[in-house]
Amino acid sequence: MTTSPADRHGIAVAVRGVEKHFTTRGSSLHALSGIDLDVPEGRFVTLFGPSGCGKSTLLRILAGLEASDAGEVELYGQPPAAASARKEIAWIPQTPALLPWRTVRENARLSADVNRTADRLGGSQRVPLDPDELLAALGLEAFADARPDQLSGGMRQRASIARGFAQGAPLMLMDEPFSALDELSREAAQLTLVELWERYRKTVVFVTHSAAEAVLLSDQVVVMTPRPGRIHAVVDIDLPRPRSSRLEETDEFAALVTHVKHTLRSGWQAAE
Amino acid sequence: MSALTTTTPRRADRTSTGRRLGELAAPLVFFVLLALAWQWTAYHNRSLIPPIQAMVTDLSSRPDYYLAQLWETLQSALIGLVIGVSIAFALAVGIVHVRALRTAVMPVALLINVTPIVAISPALIVAFGFTRTPHIIVVAIVVFFPMLINATVGLSSVDPQAMDVFRTLSATKGDVLLRLRLPSSLPFVFAGLRLSASTAMLGAIISEFTGTSKGMGASIMLATSYLNLAQMWSMIFLSALTSLALLGLVAVAERMVIRW
Ligand SMILES: Nc1ncnc2c1ncn2[C@@H]1O[C@H](COP(=O)(O)OP(=O)(O)OP(=O)(O)O)[C@@H](O)[C@H]1O
Ligand SMILES: [Mg+2]
Repeated sequence: MTTSPADRHGIAVAVRGVEKHFTTRGSSLHALSGIDLDVPEGRFVTLFGPSGCGKSTLLRILAGLEASDAGEVELYGQPPAAASARKEIAWIPQTPALLPWRTVRENARLSADVNRTADRLGGSQRVPLDPDELLAALGLEAFADARPDQLSGGMRQRASIARGFAQGAPLMLMDEPFSALDELSREAAQLTLVELWERYRKTVVFVTHSAAEAVLLSDQVVVMTPRPGRIHAVVDIDLPRPRSSRLEETDEFAALVTHVKHTLRSGWQAAE
Repeated sequence: MSALTTTTPRRADRTSTGRRLGELAAPLVFFVLLALAWQWTAYHNRSLIPPIQAMVTDLSSRPDYYLAQLWETLQSALIGLVIGVSIAFALAVGIVHVRALRTAVMPVALLINVTPIVAISPALIVAFGFTRTPHIIVVAIVVFFPMLINATVGLSSVDPQAMDVFRTLSATKGDVLLRLRLPSSLPFVFAGLRLSASTAMLGAIISEFTGTSKGMGASIMLATSYLNLAQMWSMIFLSALTSLALLGLVAVAERMVIRW
């Protein structure tokens, strides 16, 4: 029960008792309360919940982009900063955030160009992938030499995912990467991500407020409720892989989406 | 013909010569009208401005004189521009990294910016004598502020989500500067450079009003004392054209550097 997270084998992300408050102009906001979470290696886990429940905040704490007030976070038994120093965290933000002066290929290669000391340090679980291979897998091979402003929104987001995968980090953190896309691009992007993930099997913590997206992509859905942000329940998604668009038409899929939504609603009402 | 009369811009027409002529027609007509007004005024009031042919005659009778003055002023302007812009940019890089530097530099920079340059110029002559140095310093001072502000804003105007990507990669300060801040700042830096380039000639000429017998500023002062209208106005037009050429160079450089 009280074992240190480092003792747990096969756990990529271990979160214990994380608390987070934001203070703005005197008023304090309890953004995260008593967060405990284990993400097993090679699993696709989604944080699901309404706006303001602290999904992004939790993800940023995992990435080391934000400090928690209390509790501990270990990535492979080490604090986030250590994983980050070895480039073992791939961060895929909400907007593609491509660098407009770089071509699509150069953008996909970004992780190789910065923090060169990480490449000299041994002992990393990172296995960089060929950017061109990823661009091809994402249907962007014809645009490898194009600049981001020549791409559509959906293509830019795919380029951003290529950049994330090319880094070869064992842990990938994605904060609503598809939220800005139109419905059709979004569905296409989800299926591409499923395919890519099933090929490389990285540990992923994904954030969304779409129940269908959470069910389609994940092995586990972490249902969060707001005020203060808590983990209400964890729903296992035992749908077979590989997954395809046909899965979305099955009754099992629909039942799980309903179940996830229902779980959220019950937790939310209890919180009010 | 249709290109000249059509009002809806069509893509295919944009590069055709007809369209080009159409775009040139308005300024050309205005320019001719302006020239006519100039000539009319010059003939009716001979002490106000010289007729155009008087300037052309003076310019073509002694081009070496004009070129020598132009070169003299241009050197001060360019050296001062490079020095002022470089210092401003280096300070901007420091400011975005060290908060204390911002609070230290900005008030002083503001003070320098509001000090009338015509007041500083004679003081610099006293300090540095009849050399090029005071003129370079004046130019450096006038180009400094626009570059400092634009570079500081530009180096800070980084996409926060791209910054998050850099931070999770544990990118070094150098990585962030070279691969994120610097490229992000370029549009701002060139906007600053356009402002600086257009004030560089102004600074050089004003500073040459005192403390030197060379350069366009000195030549304008000399022409004033002799009431040589042709020389005075030739210099004025020449300096305007030079400033315009400098601006054009900056625009060309911008198009070559920023290709996204
Ligand atoms: N930097 C900050 N300063 C102050 N308050 C913040 C900050 N970041 C987040 N918050 C607050 O913390 C709470 C949780 O925010 P967070 O962005 O984590 O929610 P979220 O679940 O990601 O929501 P969304 O689905 O809208 O993205 C919100 O009430 C938000 O206003
Ligand atoms: Mg969010």
